[in-house]
Amino acid sequence: MELTRVKFTNLSKELFPGITKARVIEYYIKVAPKMLPYLKDRAVVMHRFPDGIEKGGFFEKDAPPHAPEWVRTFRRYSRHAKREIRYVVCNNLDTLLWLANLASIEINVTLSRVDDFERPDLVLIDIDPQNGFGEAREVALELKDVLSQLGLRCYVKTSGIRGLHVLIPIAREYSFSDTRAFAHELARIARREKVKIDYAQNAVAKTMAAPYSLRPLEGAPVSTPLAWEELEKGLSPAEFNINTVAERKDPWKGFFKPQRLIAHGAQG
Amino acid sequence: MELRAKPPKRAIWSGSIAVGLVNVPVKLYPMIREKSFSFRMLHSRDNSPIKFKRVCSRCGEEVPLEQVVKGYEVRKGEFVVFEEEELEAIKPASSRRIALEKFVDLASVDPIYFHTSYILTPDKSEEAYALLLHVLQRTGKAGAGRLTLRSKEYPVLVHPYRGALIATTLHYPHEVVDPRDMEELQRLKEPPEEELELAATIVDALSGEFDLSSYRDEYLEKLQELINRKLAGEVVVVEEAEKEEVKSLMEALRKTVEELKAKQE
Repeated sequence: MELTRVKFTNLSKELFPGITKARVIEYYIKVAPKMLPYLKDRAVVMHRFPDGIEKGGFFEKDAPPHAPEWVRTFRRYSRHAKREIRYVVCNNLDTLLWLANLASIEINVTLSRVDDFERPDLVLIDIDPQNGFGEAREVALELKDVLSQLGLRCYVKTSGIRGLHVLIPIAREYSFSDTRAFAHELARIARREKVKIDYAQNAVAKTMAAPYSLRPLEGAPVSTPLAWEELEKGLSPAEFNINTVAERKDPWKGFFKPQRLIAHGAQG
Repeated sequence: MELRAKPPKRAIWSGSIAVGLVNVPVKLYPMIREKSFSFRMLHSRDNSPIKFKRVCSRCGEEVPLEQVVKGYEVRKGEFVVFEEEELEAIKPASSRRIALEKFVDLASVDPIYFHTSYILTPDKSEEAYALLLHVLQRTGKAGAGRLTLRSKEYPVLVHPYRGALIATTLHYPHEVVDPRDMEELQRLKEPPEEELELAATIVDALSGEFDLSSYRDEYLEKLQELINRKLAGEVVVVEEAEKEEVKSLMEALRKTVEELKAKQE
């Protein structure tokens, strides 16, 4: 039996200093059982680095014309690009490995699912500290407190080596302008000097680095789902990289249970 | 004439030539290096080379070499099976020794029987080799014997050529078709005398020395030219799958596939 329909190529090419494409693919193979549920039914934006991160990469929204016929795609007219974009939808292992083989080191996904693209099922708050990770951690922990006072579960992941992403899974009852306003409000509450809290990514067709996506940075860090306890205890995001993350258990319990945003002032 | 094929690197056989009680240890090198051109078959979709697998015609599964035995098809679908030892046991003596039983004039052998030629070189004992070479040169004879190569025994002539001993294998008479047996040729009539005379004058006018070096394989040359052009421009690059890396990926993949399957159930 064939294990995969993907034909791996250029395996010895270095994608990170000292890290070959073979290892990148191996990482995605190992992390696939944890990662695939977070990619399911979402439009993917590839961040490809065919000659490695040092040579620079490019974002690719469209499935390449030579994409195999088993790769699922989603077509949507983009007002920005003034044409139809044919997104990849990564719902299975083969597609994930095909993306990895395209040297899409980073896999970005939308905050909504393709069957109801205009309605987000995730709210994202992107915390990007100017100085150190400690500041991002404080902001995230504060957001968590605020959200739990609102009776909302939220989840945290590293974004790379510095920042954090806080995600709130929601029922698909709201528009992106609702979620953007909600995130804006949260950002205002947790505001700090020298920490950028980005709420503007809550928009149709905007993407975030998927949970378990590698980031194109030195040391091959992974955007890693964390348990809040881990963050409370303290950690260094660089610990979560291509060598360490595949072995971890997925800490995000109940992520796929949608929640209603009840007690916020932005809705009405 | 200048012979220009590249000398082979490796001997394909070693043994000895036996003349009476004298043994001449020799190595045998290919002398005829046929130039041909072969294409690889590629999958048109991505230009990957196509592999062949040994597959069982009944169960469809790939058969590892250690499970392959040799069989002779007696009737369609009926085989006699042989063990490797059984075949080894009947290998003729000539698989290690060319016994020269008779010395003949090379020119007396019909060239239609010539199969192919090999260069013999001395294997350690140069004196014995030189003696055999010189005696054949002086007498103008060729030694006749048998030689077994790749599980086939050939009649062979050992003769001097350009300062070396050459072994030329021959076809058996039963391997050569007699043109007189071709039916189409049995109805031929003799042409009228005047036509024959006219044709003969044409042949006379065109008669000359035969110069093989003026012949070239033009198809091969054109192919080479085509290859060079492709090399300069549109090259088909094949990415060789790195075997070791693929192997370890497949191991990881097997685990993941199992894990995903278990999740589904």
